[in-house]
Amino acid sequence: MPDIEKDLHTEHMVINMGPSHPVTHGTVKFLVTLDGETIVDLKVEIGYLHRGFEKMCENGTWQQVIPYTDRLNYVSPLINNVGYALAVEKLIGIDVPERCKYIRVIACELSRIADHLTNVAAGGLELGAFTAFLYFVEARELVWDLIEMLCGARVTTNYVRIGGLKNDLPEGFSEKTRDVFKRVRVLWKDVDHLLTKNRVFIDRVRDVAVLPADEAIALGFTGPCLRACGVPYDVRKAQPYLVYDRMDFEVPIGDTGDNFDKYLVRMEEILQSMRIVEQALDQLPSGPINIDMPQYRWQSKDDIGSRIDSLIFHFKTVIDGIKPPPGEVYLAVEGGNGELGFYLVSDGTGKPYKCRVRPPSFPLTAAMSRLMKGRLIADIVPTFDMINMIGGECDR
Amino acid sequence: MIADLIESLAKIIFIFTVNLGFFAPVLGWVERKQSALIQDRIGANRADILGFTVIGLFHSLADAVKVLTKEDFIPAGANKFFHTMAPFISLVPAIAAFSVIPFGGKYTVFGHEVHLVIADLDVGILFVFALASLSTFGVVLAGWSSRSNWSLMGGLRASAQMLSYEVAMGLTIIGIIMVFGSLKLTEIGAAQENFFRWGIFLQPVGFILFLTCAIAENKRVPFDIPEAESELVAGYFTEYSGLKFVMFWMGEFLEIVTISGMVTTLFFGAWHLPFVTDQMLLDFFQFAGPNGAGILAMLVNIATFFGKVVFFIWLQMAIRWTLPRFRYDQIMRLCWKMILPISLINILVTGLVLLI
Amino acid sequence: MNTTTNLDPAKHHPMVGVPVDVLKPKRVRKEVNLTLWEKVYVFEILRGLYVTTKHFVVNMIGFVAPPKGKKRSVFTVYYPEERVTLPVAYRGRPVLVMRKDGTERCVACGLCEKICPASAISIVAGEREDLDRYPVSYTLDMSRCVYCGYCEEVCPKEAIVMSSEYEGLAERDRKNLRYSKDRLLRSEESVKDRIEYIRRIYSKWNY
Repeated sequence: MPDIEKDLHTEHMVINMGPSHPVTHGTVKFLVTLDGETIVDLKVEIGYLHRGFEKMCENGTWQQVIPYTDRLNYVSPLINNVGYALAVEKLIGIDVPERCKYIRVIACELSRIADHLTNVAAGGLELGAFTAFLYFVEARELVWDLIEMLCGARVTTNYVRIGGLKNDLPEGFSEKTRDVFKRVRVLWKDVDHLLTKNRVFIDRVRDVAVLPADEAIALGFTGPCLRACGVPYDVRKAQPYLVYDRMDFEVPIGDTGDNFDKYLVRMEEILQSMRIVEQALDQLPSGPINIDMPQYRWQSKDDIGSRIDSLIFHFKTVIDGIKPPPGEVYLAVEGGNGELGFYLVSDGTGKPYKCRVRPPSFPLTAAMSRLMKGRLIADIVPTFDMINMIGGECDR
Repeated sequence: MIADLIESLAKIIFIFTVNLGFFAPVLGWVERKQSALIQDRIGANRADILGFTVIGLFHSLADAVKVLTKEDFIPAGANKFFHTMAPFISLVPAIAAFSVIPFGGKYTVFGHEVHLVIADLDVGILFVFALASLSTFGVVLAGWSSRSNWSLMGGLRASAQMLSYEVAMGLTIIGIIMVFGSLKLTEIGAAQENFFRWGIFLQPVGFILFLTCAIAENKRVPFDIPEAESELVAGYFTEYSGLKFVMFWMGEFLEIVTISGMVTTLFFGAWHLPFVTDQMLLDFFQFAGPNGAGILAMLVNIATFFGKVVFFIWLQMAIRWTLPRFRYDQIMRLCWKMILPISLINILVTGLVLLI
Repeated sequence: MNTTTNLDPAKHHPMVGVPVDVLKPKRVRKEVNLTLWEKVYVFEILRGLYVTTKHFVVNMIGFVAPPKGKKRSVFTVYYPEERVTLPVAYRGRPVLVMRKDGTERCVACGLCEKICPASAISIVAGEREDLDRYPVSYTLDMSRCVYCGYCEEVCPKEAIVMSSEYEGLAERDRKNLRYSKDRLLRSEESVKDRIEYIRRIYSKWNY
């Protein structure tokens, strides 16, 4: 009845899906302009979790920044630790021992598994599949148990040090990891049976938020969302760091970039990460995990108790901080959401001059308004879930 | 005459007790415990009386106490009368619909013929559908009378969904009616004495369609946008608290029981055990004399009926915890573009098969 | 997005510039095209129901006949009657270690105060009669502590360790959250597992 519609006086309704809202798990505000149920415009406002990370880094020493980096992407904290430590090491110009590199890879991949499990679980929860959520939360608990065995805490890990690690792998870690992965694979298969070919789920997520590859690159996408658009860009393959060039794994890519592809890419990446961890545990060499440079990495307690230079540098680096040579560096690692970059500027003192983080979910969140024009309001839910905006890293 | 009165009263009291007293609280427990067992957790089992936690059954009692002591508010500017009436309109049809569902056959006890159904109407199935239509009113009134944007949208969506699925539900049943040739639920139940004359074998497509439409009518997952996701606030019962809120919930649970009752009666042999006819049962209980045999056969049939009802309740709960929910336009498309044509084809095919 | 000019586009992926046999892209979508069987909702719903029913039955039987070594087959740990066994690496509340004569091992060097990223520790140092350094007051503000473990890592005397206590940390008054020395002291036996662990990981490195 097009002629009736011409004379009907309608108004667009502006709804505020505000920072505290079940779907915006990351405290983001959407100002949605609606025409009935169709979205005409969507404005994104972030910053509700801004805690002043970069300013805090300027007030602490280089080592004190590491607990702050835990809290950036709080579902995959080890990746943040590793990224920052690698950036500082690049600034200084040192290289860590082989065993340290392998253990860092294991830590990164365990965190990545936890990140993807959380994301797919939250997606299932928002769409009403409560059981898929709880199965993946159970799997995540098991992975967190592994991380707790490794470094003492599940989320605020504080594990990686500049020039090495906090401690070596505990005993029995390899066997426990394989047991945990057996159970995680069983739960993965369960959720796969529940969701992947379920037409109810597929109708919700397929062909929603389609994005062609060149537009995705223009918007600044990286990570699983870019891989879902068909571009096989993975920092672990394009600019390999640590020992990823010795690991045999595949990069899953999607076709159209819609939510279903993002979901499939993340599910496949869980399996690939498990593969990497198992390979790393097989290839793990023995040897030191810390470098022998007391001016950058405080030394063992025996040395501190017996050698005078270790003791002096221990006190100096704790009180003043380590002193990388002046300069600047940018280093990117593959975070759970994409390319996590650290841009560090050093002026030769013990405190960073600038420590900027390139958050991977910032361009993804900004793309929400382009993705959601013309869709229904119920499509915000799966789209925003699959983008996986983590408030801690987007707002820092 | 007196015997008829006593019989009716006994049946009404029995159904009321079973429905309101047993099913309504226990279904709350079943929902918690079943979801917990599916999801690898224990569930709610901490409420206790004098140290006895009866695997969590007292949580229903705790819920009742909590609900009765809550403040009962009506939002400012809302229409007080409709706001209070809406839960009743939603609840009463759910209870009343059970009055035509037979939970047993005909037995001769003490020289008196007992029909185990409260009201043996000639238009049994139609009565149930009419009551289901009435409960739509409750939802719309709830959405309208609470003066809130979210509730209004939730109520509108719910009304559209329930109306569409009523139409579809009516059409899916026509196949069964054609096969059994009657609208009386007692006759349909009695005609399923032979195991291979059960409705599920005669109308498998009809069963799936009817179950889908009934779950959609009941606003359970996967069709629960009116309550859970209507713009992600609570939907049409946002502005309700206390006893009225619980009445909506009870109405939903009792409709689950009604749907299970309907499905059992129409498709799964009502009160009959698979390969056992009525006469075999009476012969089996011959040792208790003719009256005793009647009573024992009655009890066996009631138990069978409620056993099947419990199975379908379990199935609906399991479906709830397995599936994600639909989007609103997909629900409408499912009804008008898929269920309706398939049910029409079902009627056509049934008619052809019956003619041949 | 340009690749560098001297790459052979036939062998390298055009968007990334990495050889395809190193990159190993794997298309995930084409494995999930729906067949007609799956377009009808029912069969996949039945498969989903099979998964949930399997969990249901396994857990139900696990209440009556639990698997070996466990009390039940669900994943829940029934707190507070049962507790999770924590690994020895667990970082709980920081505590000061007590010597045999009841005084603390701490020599008030101030390293933990300087390294703490949350500035939770305040120390006032003093001297005993026999010229031993000791902390006159040691205040750890639990409302600031982030349980990072740095204090334990830098302490040269193994005087502060992260115990495995995670209960009893809540207070009704914010003043009670500033723990003074007497609330922080623990005997050496109560934290001996932790001291052994930190000796193992921090004492001797093979650089």
